[in-house]
Amino acid sequence: MRVALFATCLADRLYADACADAVRLLRRLGVEVHFPAAQTCCGQPALNAGHVAEARRMARHTLRTFRYADHVVLPSGSCAGMLRTHFPQLLEEPEATDLAARTWELSEFMVRVLGVTELGRGLEGRVVAYHHGCHALHELRVHDEPLTLLANAGARLASWEASEECCGFGGLFSVKFPVVSAGMADRKLDTLPPVDMVTSADGGCLMQMSGRAGRRGLAIPFRHLASVLWEAAS
Amino acid sequence: MSARERVLARVRTALEERTRVPHPGPFRGTRPEPPPADPLEGFSTLFLDAGGEVVRVADEAAATAWARAFAAGFGSVAVGATVPPSLAPASRPSAPPETAELGVSMALGAVAETGSLLLHSADGRRTQLLPPTHLVVVHASSIHPTLVGALSSLRSSLPAALGLHSGPSKSADIGQVLLRGVHGPGRVVALIIEA
Amino acid sequence: MSAHHPRGYKAASARAVLERQDMRASVTAATRNFDGNRATAWREIDADTWRDWARDVKRHALTHLGRYLEEAEARLQANGVRVHWAENAAEVHDILGRLLTRHGVRRIVKAKSMLTEELEVNRYLEGRGAQVRETDLGEYIIQLLGQPPSHIIAPAIHIGLEDCRRLFTERFGTSPDASPEALAAAARAALRADFLSADLGISGANFLAADTGTLALIENEGNIRLSTSAPRVHVALVGIEKVVPRLEDLSGFLQLTSRSATGQVIGNYVSLIHGPRRQGDPDGPEALHVVFVDNGRTRLLSDDVAWETLRCVRCGACANICPVYRQTGGHSYGFTYSGPIGAILAPGLLGLKEAMPLPFASTLCGACADVCPVRIPIPELILYWRERAVEAGLVPVAERLGMRAYATAAEHAGAFASAGALLRWVPWEAGGRALPVLGGWAGQRTPPRLSPRSFRSLWEEGIR
Repeated sequence: MRVALFATCLADRLYADACADAVRLLRRLGVEVHFPAAQTCCGQPALNAGHVAEARRMARHTLRTFRYADHVVLPSGSCAGMLRTHFPQLLEEPEATDLAARTWELSEFMVRVLGVTELGRGLEGRVVAYHHGCHALHELRVHDEPLTLLANAGARLASWEASEECCGFGGLFSVKFPVVSAGMADRKLDTLPPVDMVTSADGGCLMQMSGRAGRRGLAIPFRHLASVLWEAAS
Repeated sequence: MSARERVLARVRTALEERTRVPHPGPFRGTRPEPPPADPLEGFSTLFLDAGGEVVRVADEAAATAWARAFAAGFGSVAVGATVPPSLAPASRPSAPPETAELGVSMALGAVAETGSLLLHSADGRRTQLLPPTHLVVVHASSIHPTLVGALSSLRSSLPAALGLHSGPSKSADIGQVLLRGVHGPGRVVALIIEA
Repeated sequence: MSAHHPRGYKAASARAVLERQDMRASVTAATRNFDGNRATAWREIDADTWRDWARDVKRHALTHLGRYLEEAEARLQANGVRVHWAENAAEVHDILGRLLTRHGVRRIVKAKSMLTEELEVNRYLEGRGAQVRETDLGEYIIQLLGQPPSHIIAPAIHIGLEDCRRLFTERFGTSPDASPEALAAAARAALRADFLSADLGISGANFLAADTGTLALIENEGNIRLSTSAPRVHVALVGIEKVVPRLEDLSGFLQLTSRSATGQVIGNYVSLIHGPRRQGDPDGPEALHVVFVDNGRTRLLSDDVAWETLRCVRCGACANICPVYRQTGGHSYGFTYSGPIGAILAPGLLGLKEAMPLPFASTLCGACADVCPVRIPIPELILYWRERAVEAGLVPVAERLGMRAYATAAEHAGAFASAGALLRWVPWEAGGRALPVLGGWAGQRTPPRLSPRSFRSLWEEGIR
């Protein structure tokens, strides 16, 4: 089984270790990982802000970069969502639909393609709150996969009233309406029960919530799902 | 050009290039769990859930007796125009709906699927809405299983206004607290004649 | 109310978040409650099938709108109803003005109608010297406070119990710790007098069945049944998009709308109105007038993408699940319709320029699309309006230039990596707005922590 890893622009710079952990995890599961060097950005920030031409340019570049991959795996629900649900409409070529069918968020890939639900017991006794990123939840319909992997690794999944609510990032939304965006992050943080960590498949969400927690002086550990799952398997 | 001509012209222009979409057909209202087979059961369950009251009597004579006994607890009664004289609780002083404590109506029928009583404007809307308690007489045989069926059967005899009443008047506008009786009756009783 | 405009969104929403904790708490609790009830109500039915059906009936009705409007008009007229048409608010006002004169109207009772808000009907009528009383309890409360509604079906959702108590003590002399029941009793008594002394009742309509000329109105209190029957004249203002082809179609819409709005099997009272009182009816209006209103709907209908918005049944489910709406409440949007549907109705009805920045007041989380009973693709339509905004030059130049530069860099991995390396040098606290995603962060959040090495360089070294 060979996959091409799409690190994503955000994770490449802000969650590099998590991307490395994703590689380790996939290799541990017997998957050969490639990193097409031409990769940059899927174009989602541009598309979401209405800049279609720019989004199309980046999408086209991404399509060309990954066209020969058997599977494209991303440590990001939102970018996986971009490739799967938006590329076909944006690019209107059969290759885009083809690529969409081979694109996966990491935890989804593990459960649905590799059929893996047990990684080990590396999270025994840890209390974990899972944040469902909106794109993973509403576009990819990824919900149970990460929860299953975490629970089977011994984690106790905390009950979090706002776990499926948007964190308020929304790309440029967080800078166009920063106060509302922060208010949304506050709702996430204020409803969080005491936990050992908060994890999510999306770096953007983690960045938004950890940034807000930092500003409010809240000491809550935020960790990328890829790193948490690697810990589960180690 | 009149407003009518202008609006219709704008509609026409707007739709010039639009692909027409066919009507998908009648509403089926399917559910994962089938509804109760007996429409009376279906109606009662929903009406009770919504805070209404249900009384079942065997026949008209029993209904008259029950209504009389019930009305005894009220100072005055307004009786709807379509309530058969035999059923009207004549023992209590009658009053106009604006001041009566109890309103009595004859329902056109009911709908099991939605737990609704079907009330006719010929019965009098004020009697159906103003008194704080509303007693509605309905024949079990006139309870339609589905709303679509009810509407279909009423098609050729639609009144000035058909009211679907599915429970006591309710509001949650004051601090999200559920309140009854603003503005319609806070108490509604369906008196179902099974014969 | 002059500040009440979409362009005020940024300031209004920020004020709401920073200063109105009580309101946010009320709105959050109420919307969560509504959404929870909707979810439960949907589980009892084959929601997917019902939604597909409803979407298709509306699409059919809208693509044959001219025919159905004419059919509805003919039926209504045959039933003794006087039908008027109005292209905009001014024409509606004229029609109402003439009715006031013709029927000698001084006192008016109103059933809740978002269309009448859109058309600023109350202001016009009061200007003509009529007394207008809102009769829906929530609308009544906000009318007393001089505020516009903040939610499509729960206009006073942003007002807590304490605020109500204060208002009612002032207005009715109820005690400061009056129970909700006592407050309701005070309102009921006051409004009863209004119902019974009104000359005219004004309502909207949830739906209009074309083949029987049936006006359908859904409510829980009974004020609509009373407003439309007690006064001697009833006027119903109906947006042209409210038409459905057949009487039987109402069975699906009444149930689906109720389940989606409040989780009820059906609204407590549904009025199916066909005409004025008939011979033998003990009561009912002597005259019934219906006004078909355009007010921007034909403009929206002509948009090949955005016309899908017109099938909205005004249930409020989208606002109930919207995480942005929950933070700000409805007033921040500065428009009759708020929440996700507001973001796409505003540009459709007002034009994009007037509606800015509402299409941007969303994180595109997608929750609304999951709960819309008629499957309006709200996130897609939001994106559509954003694209149009960029094309129309309505977004900041710095953003356009920044995005273009970003795309250029992203077409060359080497350039992109180099540019990324510069992130280390960006003065985060100072802004850096031109950088997509990562700029303008300061004030609300600590800057994101860059990884010491990019993943690309870790890969190049070899991952162990």
